Amino acid sequence: MTLTTVLLLPLILTILVGVLELGAVRIVAERARIAADIATVTAVNDQDVDELARSGALRPSSDAERVAREHFALNLSVLSASLDATPEAIAEAADVVVFAQAGQVDPRTGDAYAGPTVRLAAELPIRTPFFAALLARPVTVVQLRSASSAR
Amino acid sequence: MTRGASDAGTATLETTLMIVVLLPVLFAILEFGDAYHRWLAQDAATAHAARFAAEVGGDSPEVRALLSEALRDSGIDPTRAEVEIDPPRVGWREPIRVSVRTDLVVAIPFALTTVLPLRSSAVARGELAR
Repeated sequence: MTLTTVLLLPLILTILVGVLELGAVRIVAERARIAADIATVTAVNDQDVDELARSGALRPSSDAERVAREHFALNLSVLSASLDATPEAIAEAADVVVFAQAGQVDPRTGDAYAGPTVRLAAELPIRTPFFAALLARPVTVVQLRSASSAR
Repeated sequence: MTRGASDAGTATLETTLMIVVLLPVLFAILEFGDAYHRWLAQDAATAHAARFAAEVGGDSPEVRALLSEALRDSGIDPTRAEVEIDPPRVGWREPIRVSVRTDLVVAIPFALTTVLPLRSSAVARGELAR
């Protein structure tokens, strides 16, 4: 019985560390989703002011895509210690699309947006040192998607 | 010593050993689960505060009140939170960063008691034309 107890100890500790690392991956992914949300909201609020003044129509500014990438990187920077790439590289590689008019269909998801929209999809490489030791998986990639519409 | 008394002693020893091992494991999962939950809630509150600060043009009592309410709703004492809004006044399309830091005490029986700093930060863009 004592032998069983001693043998079970590493197993229990392995499960504990695995649970904590899985939790850590999820929290990094959720924090990155918040970063993506801020980026798309900021970008879609970057309206073409001349068009707005002239016709009252909502239309994202011509630099909305750049604004989305820039703010995604800025908001990801707090997570840089957990990421396997720089925030700037992740933001640069992200698929950012500006849908200037209502009703346009997103080819990636098939969603039709009710208003002018900025959509961001990215792959987030998260460092997982324990999974590396246990499963030979040093990096876990999480898919992110965020879309914000103006109204 | 009889055989029955010896078995009972072994069982007591094994139970004690397992409690000493399993209790910290259980509490570690509970405490870190709570820490993760608080961290996410604090992040979301910080993001909302950054957006609001960008709308109203910077640091203001309304931004602080919104942040305090969001933190309180998440079970975080806002009076113990360190909040920084930089810059305090922001113009059209200028970046504004809201940073929040709180300390969470993590106590795991038979293992450790420590203070975990939870840091959140969000950057938004000024939307007020001055």
